[in-house]
Amino acid sequence: MRHPTPHPFPALLLAVLALAGCASTTTVDEYRPTTEPIDIGQEERVAILGRRDAGHYETDRGFMNCLAGKMNRAKFRVMSEEEFIDALYPWFEPRTAPKHLERLKRLMRDPVIQAKVKQEKIRYLVWLDGEVETHGMSGAMSCGMGPSGAGCFGYTTWDKNAMFEAIVWDLVDLTEEARIRVDSEGTSYVIGIVAPIPLLTPVKSQACDGMGKQLRSYFEHIQEDVG
Amino acid sequence: MATLALASGCTSNVKLGVDQDFPEVVAKPRDLSATLVMDDAFRTYVADPTKNIQVQFGPAQVDLMTKAFRGLFAEVKVVSSKAQAGSGTDLVIVPSVREVQLSTPSDSYLNVYEVWIKYNLDIETADGVPIDSWFLPAYGKTPYSYMLSRTTAIEEATVIALRDAGAKLMLDFYRIPAINGWMQRRQATLAEP
Repeated sequence: MRHPTPHPFPALLLAVLALAGCASTTTVDEYRPTTEPIDIGQEERVAILGRRDAGHYETDRGFMNCLAGKMNRAKFRVMSEEEFIDALYPWFEPRTAPKHLERLKRLMRDPVIQAKVKQEKIRYLVWLDGEVETHGMSGAMSCGMGPSGAGCFGYTTWDKNAMFEAIVWDLVDLTEEARIRVDSEGTSYVIGIVAPIPLLTPVKSQACDGMGKQLRSYFEHIQEDVG
Repeated sequence: MATLALASGCTSNVKLGVDQDFPEVVAKPRDLSATLVMDDAFRTYVADPTKNIQVQFGPAQVDLMTKAFRGLFAEVKVVSSKAQAGSGTDLVIVPSVREVQLSTPSDSYLNVYEVWIKYNLDIETADGVPIDSWFLPAYGKTPYSYMLSRTTAIEEATVIALRDAGAKLMLDFYRIPAINGWMQRRQATLAEP
């Protein structure tokens, strides 16, 4: 008995679309005013804080959690956003948080705030800003249901662009230690061949990976040297 | 039947309570004393920003105000009525809620819940001489509402608005022109031989 050989074309098409759909381009740009390594003691902590002062958006919470997860696996100690803003309440609320280094310097002139930062052993603050934007949506898909079954046909596609920036402030020396910008873009598809098949581009996780690696490299490099 | 269920789901009454302990403020209080008068209406305050949503945040705002004023004054006495205030204090402060507003994604077409709380602080001397009636607006919004239930989102936005009230209080209280003027007069009186 002969079995019909499945035609390789649909499977090939799906594989190509899947690969193309999942592909994203990630660019990591960094700026550091010095080539000196970032100095961090064994007990000192790095706090991560997302900007929340913009009216129309806030720093993507999913990205913050992802980056905190990446940093938590690092060799240095990380302080969560919640813990940080509670420890220094109310000076890092959306209304009061210093947006520039000059404002931070002014804030840190307060001996009570300075003492609290010292007591909590917070050495660096990573200010995160950015969001994921979706644009260029096109295509059409229709789904239907009948007595013999249900299904979706067609395709839809959209572009996603994740742009995040991290600024590292030294809360002891009151200097800007680094600035990292990560751009990640890609196209996602949903193809309807009876069942809708999503081929999503992980732009956010790519950007998180890029930024996490870069940030860890700054601090871990020195930990190894110190150790 | 499904339509009816959906329709009743859309108009359900929501009553939620914000039960939150706020952090102590990081600030050096001035060498002044204040009596904070928070009556039962303030302590058990329930806002009804829309017809079918009620938000109880009385205990939360009592906790917030107490902690914020402890960051402003070296000595803070909390009482339930003005009659209990006594005379051994520099200022008597009576906070009250003037209005609470809520904006949901269905109102604003934005993917956020927003809460505005408008406070009024009636400030007077221990002798009952009015100094100012200060308007204290506060604002809070949820970062996202995709993954949040309506009650969680409103609770979160209310907590952020309360934290904002504490931040504004710490930032601006001693900048109120009437308070500034009162402090200068007080200092001048104390400096007199």
